[in-house]
Order: sequence, then structure tokens, then C-alpha cells
Amino acid sequence: MIEQHGSEREALRTVGAPIRRYGGAARVSGQQDFLADLPFPDAAAVALVTLPVACATVTGIDGKRAMEMPGVIAVVSAADLPQPVPRFGISHQDRPVLADGEVLFHGEPVAAVVAETLDQAEAGAREVEVAFEERPGVYNVDQALATGAPLVRDPSRRPEDDENRDSNVLETALYEWGDTTAAAGEAAVIVENTYTFPMVTHFPIEPGGTVAVPTDAGGLDIYSPVQHPYLLQRTIATVTGLPLSQVRVFAPDPGGGFGGKQTPRLEPLLAFLALQTGRPCRLVLSLEQTFQMMRRAACRVKARTGFADDGALIFHELHCDFLIGAYADVAPRVMTKGSYVGAGPYRIPHARTASRAVMSNTTPSTAFRGFGAPQVAWATESQLDAGARALGLDGLQIRRRNLVNVGEAFFRGPYEATADGHWHEALEKAAELIGWGQPLAPGRGRGIAVAIKPGATSGLSQSLVRFLADGSAIAYAGTSDMGQGARTLWQQILADELGSPLDKIRVVSGDTGVVPFDLQTSASRSTVFMGNAVLEACRDIRKRVLALFAESTGVDEAMLSEAPGVLITPDGELSLLEASRIALGALGGEFVGQGTARMRGRKGHPLGGDAAFYEFNCTAIEVEVDVETGELLLHRHVSVSDVGTELNPIQVTSQDEGASIMGLGHSQMEQLLLDDHGVIRNLGALDYRIPTFKDVPVELITHGIENHDGPGPYGSKGISEGALLCTAGALGSAVSDAIGIPIRDLPLTPERVWTALHPDAADHPGGEEPA
Amino acid sequence: MRYYRPATTAQAVAALASQPHTSRILVGGTDLLVAVRHRSAQPTLVVDIKGVRDLTAPISVDEQGITFGPTATMGDVIAHPTVREWFPALVEAAGLVGSVAIRNRASLIANSANGSPAADTSPPLVSFNASVTITSVSGERTSLLREFFLAPRRTLCEPGEMVTSLRVPRPSPGSSSAFERMTRRRGVDLATCSVGAVVDADGAMTVGLGALGPTTLLGGPVAPIDLTSQEQLERAVDALLAPATPIGDIRAGKAYRTAMARVLARRAVLRAAARRTDPDRLTGRSS
Ligand SMILES: Cc1cc2nc3c(=O)[nH]c(=O)nc-3n(C[C@H](O)[C@H](O)[C@H](O)COP(=O)(O)OP(=O)(O)OC[C@H]3O[C@@H](n4cnc5c(N)ncnc54)[C@H](O)[C@@H]3O)c2cc1C
Repeated sequence: MIEQHGSEREALRTVGAPIRRYGGAARVSGQQDFLADLPFPDAAAVALVTLPVACATVTGIDGKRAMEMPGVIAVVSAADLPQPVPRFGISHQDRPVLADGEVLFHGEPVAAVVAETLDQAEAGAREVEVAFEERPGVYNVDQALATGAPLVRDPSRRPEDDENRDSNVLETALYEWGDTTAAAGEAAVIVENTYTFPMVTHFPIEPGGTVAVPTDAGGLDIYSPVQHPYLLQRTIATVTGLPLSQVRVFAPDPGGGFGGKQTPRLEPLLAFLALQTGRPCRLVLSLEQTFQMMRRAACRVKARTGFADDGALIFHELHCDFLIGAYADVAPRVMTKGSYVGAGPYRIPHARTASRAVMSNTTPSTAFRGFGAPQVAWATESQLDAGARALGLDGLQIRRRNLVNVGEAFFRGPYEATADGHWHEALEKAAELIGWGQPLAPGRGRGIAVAIKPGATSGLSQSLVRFLADGSAIAYAGTSDMGQGARTLWQQILADELGSPLDKIRVVSGDTGVVPFDLQTSASRSTVFMGNAVLEACRDIRKRVLALFAESTGVDEAMLSEAPGVLITPDGELSLLEASRIALGALGGEFVGQGTARMRGRKGHPLGGDAAFYEFNCTAIEVEVDVETGELLLHRHVSVSDVGTELNPIQVTSQDEGASIMGLGHSQMEQLLLDDHGVIRNLGALDYRIPTFKDVPVELITHGIENHDGPGPYGSKGISEGALLCTAGALGSAVSDAIGIPIRDLPLTPERVWTALHPDAADHPGGEEPA
Repeated sequence: MRYYRPATTAQAVAALASQPHTSRILVGGTDLLVAVRHRSAQPTLVVDIKGVRDLTAPISVDEQGITFGPTATMGDVIAHPTVREWFPALVEAAGLVGSVAIRNRASLIANSANGSPAADTSPPLVSFNASVTITSVSGERTSLLREFFLAPRRTLCEPGEMVTSLRVPRPSPGSSSAFERMTRRRGVDLATCSVGAVVDADGAMTVGLGALGPTTLLGGPVAPIDLTSQEQLERAVDALLAPATPIGDIRAGKAYRTAMARVLARRAVLRAAARRTDPDRLTGRSS
């Protein structure tokens, strides 16, 4: 990583200022072109054929009638693809381009119809006759782990030496230090509980889609609003056999991603359709289809925790079962990474976290803001509160007692991980902002919780910056701007490092044909990784200006030095623009700088490497409970994150506010409900509830702790996930403080809170009654 | 799908009659367009009546009551001073429908004509003893709104017909009303259940019940009680909720919906009763 110097920080101008979002005006005024807005005059429309069940053997697909429908160009099923049907995936290449003889989740396409218009494609899709036999499926953790459960994946598709071959367990993780069994004897209090976290979907406001365009040269241009254009490029090249140079991915800005637009899903299908028909093929997803394409893993955590008299943690034991869905996607990684920090940012002498990624006949789960951490943090934070209650302590006292100090290990063993920030400062700030310890009005409760999430454990971001003859500049940076405002930061860095005015800086991204490689936009990595690459590219330009200036003027290089925006000569400072003009001379031209941020993994490390940084957050909530209805009114919601340096305070605030509200979604109302056939019952915006602005707490306060101690530019850290890591823990704690009863299943809907208050009255909560 | 914008009521009903089972009236489209998108409605003819010149005016007031025309929107209802004074429960219900953008399009009559048991404005209208006029090529007929609802999505307004007006009689002097709704979140949501209550000057009570049966239901009237008596109030709530047949569905389990009906009925009755003597800012007392 690049070294920081205090003097450089002082010289900064736009970094640290609340600069307005690059492209923000177009985004809020409806002028930004999303995928669905891009014109493809010659494109054929694609409609998918799906089944009304989640789990079935497909015995025949007959597209004859569909082919006779007006406008239909092609009906494609697995039989029309290369054999064996190509499969793809990150760690497991298990996902077929189209369902191959079996459907494993509700919405998995069995065929695609290509037609001149969308209406014709949809009409054609309704005429495709699919013969299928429904099979018993597994839709929750209990069903999937029951003895004799139907297997989502046939053992013949799994390696012979895979010890979980004959079960629905795809992968496991075990993190252990100390001896939890022996330590149980030392504990004054032991609490043991089971917690559940629901399946939730990302709900990007822009559902997205894909357009695949065959090129004259025999290659493919793929348009898809993805977070990882380079992964998509590689996947398309691999399944089609085309060289990377023949696959160009255009990634228009996603309208929200949250992790749901990372991995390829339908793009390989679109690629084959385009190759087979020779036509640009266009598929724009509906919101309902995104529900079937992306979700967060549900999780059941069995926890057993021991405390000393004074509240000190003695041991903490977790069994986490992540319900990952029908294909692996990145879910095994979600399980391992989420479990790694599952025990929390605490000083624990004895810990054991045993986790499983459990397959089910549900939408494959994927990366989702928090990446497995919120599921386990819900259990761990609730356990801390349970311990506090048993010992007569409060939520703040028990966390003060156990939270690690900077440099202290929260994960022990040969690959120990330590606190990379002053996390107690965030805890104390949140306590202060929520008014911890002040008297509460009747019917109200307060809760506080903390959690961490590891940032990226390896990475590669490359950037090019062009400093043009008039002092304007262009940054080429592959980070996808999905609303987090990445481009604004590159603009700020260029402005400060090159001395160019903000409005003369352009950022180019979302085109693998011209923008250099970036591994991915995930794990809140971009500020750190791409930020450092962009910074290095700017400094590279300054060095080149210096060198050429020396050559052109005959001034000895040793007499020259550079600093942000300037060249320092024996005769005084020159602006970088002036210096570059003198350096370039009559021929003109421009300077091109290159920057790379590379972090290698670490062999043997359970995550493949140490995290580049941790996101630490403390959330505190004051809630009022209507005991007659179970409704919650959040009077105050405080979120304090350890951010290193706020490069752009408005953006930090909006990320923290957005994540806080999103966290309230899974804490209060979001859940995918399935029927007995694994069909999503609340498929769509009517009965899948996400928070609206009217559901936002009366007061939502966010705060960043700045100690300039991050590995990113100017001491920054990644920040965009922290504020939802422990929302559930804080809310659950506040509700149980108000009603005197802990609730261990999310979401805390009015009905669930009411049911906790009326244990005798309940039959089946909404959505859980058989249809 | 053909779109037709007639200029007269006669043209509109003639068009509807020409293909009664595949034509649909369009006003705000906030129900119809959603249904078309989800293919739960597949009309071949859409008759947009917003251009019809001889429609009943959106809102007209006389001594005996208020008549609403097919283009009266929720926004119109909420803003009208006499509606606010006479029908506070209707104003509260209309104010909860969707969001500002939805309320500026959504028509009051269609909210009932659509036939959803969860429609928000139907319970107060039923409790106010509203009636509707239905027009077709063969003439007009009038029916009480509480008899208008036959089953989910089925009303007395047959294919080929159109509701041309909604009449709500002026409430009796000294009465007042209130509306309560339970939803899963505070922002835009459909009712888990709802109750609109009218309490007369003498204390007699009537309720309209939403999402507590296959259609909007009428509860009561129930004779006056001593509202300070918890026991009498509970008995009155029992009687008011007698027609309710709550079920468990995706929005709520049966036990919860049943319990919430009681909470809402109690709250609505008490608020309506209190409003008779102490009208709040939003609404008034009937005089
Ligand atoms: C986001 C959103 C939120 C909503 N929230 C709520 C809510 O909170 N509460 C609630 O109750 N509703 C809600 N709705 C439903 C809807 O807004 C109301 O039912 C509205 O009153 C319908 O009015 P409209 O003019 O838009 O009807 P349209 O969609 O134009 O028509 C609805 C139906 O009624 C028929 N129809 C219309 N006018 C007549 C007529 N004069 N005679 C006979 N048939 C007729 C149409 O043919 C159609 O079948 C919501 C809808 C949306 C999209």
C-alpha cells in the first residue's frame, strides 16, 4: 500500500469535502441510461420459460407450437446447447446455462424464446410445452438436514472424496481456539439459544438484464449492469470458447447492486442465444425475476456462551447453518467469511464456530451487503444481551467489558486477526448519541450492538489516468458505480493530485474494451484498492512531468520535486499544468499514468488472506412498542462506523444511512415466504416489504470515527456495509428491553412481536400458514 | 388491446356492451394497469372514461348528502371541506391509500368497483350507508354499497356496466366517525385489516370492516353503551365484529388478524365517539 505523508494531507483540497455525486444530477433527473434505456434497434426479445414448482425432473420440452407463433425466431432448451451443457460458477462450476433435465429452484429457466418483439416472445414462451414431474424438494434448514432428505445435488455430481457427498451440505468451516468444553466449568453463567435469520432478496430498484450482441468479427459484446465486468468477460469466454479479446463487456451503471449483481447468471444463456440466432438478444428482468435470481442466505445459529461474574466472555460456541440454495454461487465463501467474524469483535479465550453451507431448492444465495456477517452477528449480539441480562449488566457494560482494543486479537491462532481501529471510540460515541442510561418513557426500550466484517482478502485493481494538454483529465477505473459514488472519489483524487478542476475530470468505467482490469466491485474494496491505484496513477503522472520537464528545460532532476498539483523548481512552484506545457513543448501531447493496487493472499489462511481492513460498526436504537399491535416506532437510530478518513462526508453519510435502513429491512419486515412447492409466495413488491421513507426512524443519526488509520488513500477504509451488520442485534435488544421478552427469530414484524407478547393466542403467523 | 376514449356515457356503455367480458373501464389505472402487467386482467378493450363530458361531477354537495362522480380522486376527497367536515373516516381512509402520486390518480369509485375486500375507502363508505348507481345500455339502477359487494373481485356491477355515481347521505347531527387500518409497514401497504366506525349522537355504533371477510362487511348497528365501561365496550366490539370471518394469509395469521380487528374496532369507536364533542383539527363533527 502507498505511504501517506501528513504534509500531503494538508495540501488536499477536495478530498474531505462534501463534493456532489459525479453523474448524480443525471441519475436523479431520470437522464441516466440504465440497461433498459439503451437503444438496440435490431435486437430480438427474449422470454424465459419456467415451471410453477421449485423442484422437478424435466422429461420433455416441445417448442413446435411456439415456433409457429408470429415473430418467434428460436426456441432454445438445453438440448440446443453444446453437450454436455456448459456449467459455470466461481468456486463450483455447477450452474447450467439452462436447466438440464431438472429444475432445482422456482424460476430456473428451462427454455428461452427469441422473437421479434417482447410480446411475441412472451406469447411464444406460453406455448412451449414442458413435461415435468415434480420431485420433493427441501426449502428450509430442517428439511435439508433431515435424515433421508431429498438431495439437491446428486452425489454423482460431487467429488468422490467429498465427505458430505450424501447430504445437502456443500461445504463446512471450522474456526476454533482454546477449549470451549473445558472452559464451560469456569463460566458463572451459560446462555444457550437458537436464532434464525430469514431469506431476503436484494431488491435493486433497477432489476437489470442483459443484451448480447454478436460482432462482425465473430465475437460478442455483452451489455449487463454488473459489479464485476471482468468476471463476466471471463465467464462468457469460458462457456463459449471465445478468446477474451473477442468478448467485450459493457457494464452500464447498475441501479443498485448490493452484491446481487456480482456473479453471472443469465448472461451465458444470452450469449448462446445471440450466437445461435446471429441477432442481438435482449432480456430485461422484471422485479419478480430478480427475486428468483438473487437473495441472501438464510441462517440458523445455535449458540452457547459462557460469561464470568463480571461479564467477561469465557467461551462462545456457534453452529451456523446457512441455507444457500440450489447452486453454489459465492455462498460457500459467504458462509466461511461470515463465520470467521461470527464470534464478534470480542476478547474470547475459548471459541468454536462450526458452520455449514446447506443446499436447498431455493434461489441460489449470493453476496449481499454484509456478506454473511449480519446473520451470525444477530446471534452473537443477542447472546451478549442474554448474558448481560443473566448477570444484571446492561448492553453497554457487557460490550465495554469484552470489546477488543486496537491491536488486540479477536480471532486467535496462527492466523490471528486483530482490531485495526479504535473500536471503543465508536461504542462510546454511539452510547452518547443514543443517550444511554437516560430515563426511558414508558413502552420504550434501548439496545446497542456491535459487529465487524472483513474487507477484501486479496485484490487487484489497475487504473490509467490521462492528463490532457489543457489540464483536464480522464481516469479509467473499472469500479462499477452502482450508487456508492465511486467515480466521485476518483474525480476528487485526480483534482487534488493533479490540480485539475473537478468539472474538467471525466471517469470512464464499465467497458472491458478500454478500461484496464479490476478484479471486482465488492467487499467495500474500491475506495481502498481502486483508490490507491488511481492515486498511484496520478503520482506516476507527476513523476513523468518532472522527468520530461527536466529533459526539456535542462534543469537537473535532482533540483526538482513534485507535490499534489505542483512541480517544485529551483525558481518556485509551477502548477502541474504549466509544468506539463513546458515539458511537452511544441508538439503537445499528454501524460499517461498507471497505477496498480495488488494484494496477494496468504497461504494457509482460512480466508485465503488477511483482510485489508475491517468494517466496524456500533448501532444503537431507541424503540417504542405498541403492545396492543406489536408495531414498532423507532424514535432514534444511531450508527457509528470506524471509517479511517471520510474522503467525501456526504457519501459516507448516505452509505451509512442507506445501510442502516436496509438493515431495518431484514430486522423488521423482509422475508421470502415459500409454499409447499418451493414457490415464492410474496414474489413482487406487493407482499415483499422493504422499508419506505415512512418507515425510517424518527431520528436517524450516523457518525464516522476518523483516525486516518486505514490502508486506502489518505488513511481511508471501505465503509459501505458496516451500518447494517448489527442493526438486527440493536433492534432486537431494544425490543426485548421494552417488552421484557427476547425474540430470536427475524424479522421482528408487528405480528411476531405481538405473538411474543401473547404466546397462547398464536396459531400460524402470517405467511407460515399452509396456503 | 384497444384503447378507447368515449365522449359520452352512452358511448362508454355501448362500447362496454359490445364486448362485455373483455372490456374494462379505465380511470386512474392504479389497479387496472398493475393487473394487466401481471396478466391477471387481459382486456381487449380499455374504455378510458376520463374524457366523458356528461359524467356526474367529481364532488357535489347538497343538504342531504354528497354525490361523487367516477373521476373523483382520493386527492379530491381529502381536500374537500364538506367531505372533511361530514366524513372524517372517509378522509382518513382516502389519505392512507398508496402515496401522494397514487392518490392523485386513484378514483374513489374504482376503489370499491375493483371489488377488493382490502380496499380502504369501502369500510367507511359502507358504515355511512352509501349507495351506488350502476348504468348500462339498458338503463340505471341503484343499490346500497353494502349489497354491492358479492365476492372478492365480484360486485353487482356486471360486465358491460359502469358505476356512474356514489351517494353518501349526510350523517345524522352530532355523530362522528374514525378509520383505523393495520399494515405491515408505515409506508405504502395494503390493509391487513381495517375498521371504519360511525358513532351517532346517542351513542349507537356502526362499523365497516375491511379484509375481515370475502368482501367489505357491515357490522352493527349496536345500541348505545357506557363507553367508560371496559366490559360494555368489549361486548359492543363483539357485536360489531360478529360478521367478520378473518382468515390467515400471507399478510397475517388468523389469530393475529382476529386480535387486530378487536384493537382497531375499539380504537375506531373510541376515536369516533370522542370526536363528536371534541372535533380535532383534521376533521369535524356533523351538525
Ligand atoms: C402503489 C399502490 C398502492 C396502493 N395502495 C392502496 C391502499 O393503500 N389502499 C387501497 O385501498 N388501495 C390501494 N391501491 C389500489 C388502488 O389505488 C385503488 O383501488 C384505487 O382507488 C383504484 O382507482 P383507479 O381509478 O386507479 O382504478 P382503475 O385501475 O382505473 O380501475 C380499477 C378497476 O375498477 C374498474 N372501474 C373503474 N371505474 C369504474 C366504474 N366507474 N365503474 C365500474 N368499474 C370501474 C376498472 O375497470 C378496474 O377493473 C394501491 C395501488 C397501487 C398501485
